[in-house]
Amino acid sequence: MAASFVQRRRRQIMALGALACLLAAIFVQGRIEGLKPGATAHPLLYLPSGKYLKVAALGFDGLLADLLYLWSIQFYGSYDIKDRYTYLERIYDQVITELDPHYLDPYLVGALIMTAEARNPEMALRLLDKAVNANPDQWLPAFEAGFLCYNDLHDYTRAASYFEKALRVPGVHPLVRRFYAEMYNRAGDKRTSLKEWLEIYQTSDDPYAHGIAWNHVHDLKVDVDIADLTSAVGRFRDREKRPPRHLQEILTAGLLPALPRDPEDRDYLYDPQTGAVRYGGGLVLGR
Amino acid sequence: MLARVNAIALNTFREAIRHRILYLLLVFAVVLISFAQILSLLTVGSEEKIIKDFGLATIDVFGVLTAVFIGIGLVSREIERRTVYTLLAKPIHRFEFVLGKYAGLALTLLVNTCVMTAWFFLVLLIKGMFDPRLGIAVLLLFFQFLLITALAVLFSCVSTPILASVMTLALYVVGHLLWSLDLLAKRLQTETGRILCRVLYYLLPNLGNFDIKGEIVHGLAVAPGRIAWATIYLLVYGCAILWTACAVFERKELQ
Amino acid sequence: MAVLDLLDIHKSYRSHLSIRKYWILRGLSLSIGEGEVFGFIGTNGAGKTTTIKLALGLIFPDQGSVRLFGEDASRVELRRRVGFLPENPYLYDYLTGEEFLDFHARLFGLDRITRRKRVKDLLERVGLGNRGYRQLRHYSKGMLQRIGLAQALINDPDLVVLDEPMSGLDPIGRREVRDIILDLKTRGRTVFFSTHILSDTEMICDRVGLLVKGALKAVGTIDELVSRDVPYWEVALQGVVNGNLPCGRIVSRREDRVLVRVDTQGDLHRLLSILNGHGARLVSVTPARQSLEDLFIREARAASVPTARLEEGHARQS
Repeated sequence: MAASFVQRRRRQIMALGALACLLAAIFVQGRIEGLKPGATAHPLLYLPSGKYLKVAALGFDGLLADLLYLWSIQFYGSYDIKDRYTYLERIYDQVITELDPHYLDPYLVGALIMTAEARNPEMALRLLDKAVNANPDQWLPAFEAGFLCYNDLHDYTRAASYFEKALRVPGVHPLVRRFYAEMYNRAGDKRTSLKEWLEIYQTSDDPYAHGIAWNHVHDLKVDVDIADLTSAVGRFRDREKRPPRHLQEILTAGLLPALPRDPEDRDYLYDPQTGAVRYGGGLVLGR
Repeated sequence: MLARVNAIALNTFREAIRHRILYLLLVFAVVLISFAQILSLLTVGSEEKIIKDFGLATIDVFGVLTAVFIGIGLVSREIERRTVYTLLAKPIHRFEFVLGKYAGLALTLLVNTCVMTAWFFLVLLIKGMFDPRLGIAVLLLFFQFLLITALAVLFSCVSTPILASVMTLALYVVGHLLWSLDLLAKRLQTETGRILCRVLYYLLPNLGNFDIKGEIVHGLAVAPGRIAWATIYLLVYGCAILWTACAVFERKELQ
Repeated sequence: MAVLDLLDIHKSYRSHLSIRKYWILRGLSLSIGEGEVFGFIGTNGAGKTTTIKLALGLIFPDQGSVRLFGEDASRVELRRRVGFLPENPYLYDYLTGEEFLDFHARLFGLDRITRRKRVKDLLERVGLGNRGYRQLRHYSKGMLQRIGLAQALINDPDLVVLDEPMSGLDPIGRREVRDIILDLKTRGRTVFFSTHILSDTEMICDRVGLLVKGALKAVGTIDELVSRDVPYWEVALQGVVNGNLPCGRIVSRREDRVLVRVDTQGDLHRLLSILNGHGARLVSVTPARQSLEDLFIREARAASVPTARLEEGHARQS
């Protein structure tokens, strides 16, 4: 028996009523959005530390770390939220990386946010130190830390020690070696730099790396040779109370075991009036 | 004896397969694994970890849900609805009933896990992220399911469907928190407290033994012998549970 | 040798929450011989199903012993010779009729050919011949009852135990079950069944047991239990004009029909002989024999089981 007219009407009214209520609910939701305290008081910021979250995770630590990390990059990507760096270290250091110490992305991205946006490179380095300690089989965190020291802090010695840590990991990218070598140069220790670059030059089979290494070796050799020669000239002048007339005199005076020749196998140029030693060619890297 | 256990096992399997809940769970699992893909688009960094974590977690959760709800549905409800009367009036030992049920459930779980894993691996292969070691992680998860099913069967013999579900799920949670009991033992001041913690730690089912998801996803090494010992743990603890269930069921009054 | 022997069975039940014990059976003793059809009747909650479950080892007595075929009933091997149909059997509704019977047959270790043949035969025998392929959840109540019966007979048992086998069946179904039980009897099998329907019991049982509140109030053949003396007759007459009759008492009158109660055979003959003289016609003569129902109600009342409901219930069923 088909539904009677009364029954049909009743059902139509019920359907309309349900629809109206749903629309009302959507409207109400819109109003509530405006009233919410705003993203500064986001409840997820009050996360318990990773140690306690592990209990709630029931063995799904890795997944929870993933989800929190995803949330965090959405959060830090929204530039309209004020004061969002207050809990920055807490979120990355005490929560996400505590849940999954082997997950690299949070360390790296966290450090990036800390440096570039929160302008706190020391915080970033603390985070990266944790990464290095927890993941001795990974070279990237140490490299990032070194790069941070180089690029932001201009602390080349510190950078070099980080790069050295990275170099201890088997399978490290050859780029790191070059950075390491160059750090000594930036720190002012050209001799060690030259030694490192020379080793790279001699041991690399990649023509690109080979070429770069040669450039550095070239210029560094010039710098080092000139430094040696200039210092020898100085000692001669002290002894003989006059500058040498030509560089040979240094050799005969026994102040150097041999006269270094420039990378093109020519002699260095010497001006007896000023006592200055010069390089006849052009520096490759033009510094 | 084997023929009867076999008959009951196959019957149980057939019942599980025709159960609509099973398909619902499978569909959800498949959907979730696919969802992992979408979720991974939100990340800055490695997509691979997120997809793998999500996939393994899905298989884990849905395997447990299947073990609990299908397991209890098939045993506890059978006892409650008295289909078991006609069975037990036959020349069959009560323990054969228990074992047959368990075997049928184990088979169901095997099929379920294989389907979910196959889908998961397919997704990974398409994205070029496949790692055969994931199979070992899934194998250990499957051992976990077997242990939980044994618990479900035991509680079904003891109690009503709802209570049995609650107890099994409670033990699942506890089984994953035992490591904190270990920590607690070291912190407690009283000697009795410490002993109690130790005793509980060893008595309760330690499901953490079957969790190598983290190691596999990060590509770290799994301690040698870990898998062998986990297998032995499953065999020994599982037998303990099933034997208890048989013993309980031997004298159960079937009202 | 008694096929089933219950000796001084005590069975109590304690609910989950209270400490009080409820006695279901106190000192029940019952013995069923080979080849007999035994009907077990009783009030609701008297303990009939409990007795049956005890006989099959589904529950265990607090006191007393249960013996099947002369041996302790807890021996699992004895069940090879037993078939059981529980009351309101919940069956595996995802299986088809054939799969269901086949599964049970497997539990007896029957080989495939025997199984197939038996399944087919039994489906025919219970009247489900062409519906074995459908899933049990599509079966009507009557069909479920029949498949349950088939399952009880799958191993050609010596003892068949049925708990309310007629429930849910229409009159045709009930007759078929009665025929099956009688057929089992001719084959020398023993049948032990419980029922509410007393008329069926009277027709097919060799012996009857009446259980009221956990105690066996009467047990024996129908003749032993129910006296065959006829206390009175009821005579229906048509065309009696005046109310004066030489004997008997008018019980009810409607238009020109009267129902007359006559107490002795002598009075009956006298009444019948004067009918022609009065121009009345005989419609029927019904001897009011004491029935099992009377015994039932009498015993129930004695045990102070509320009987008003009983009478309603029985009136509806017969």
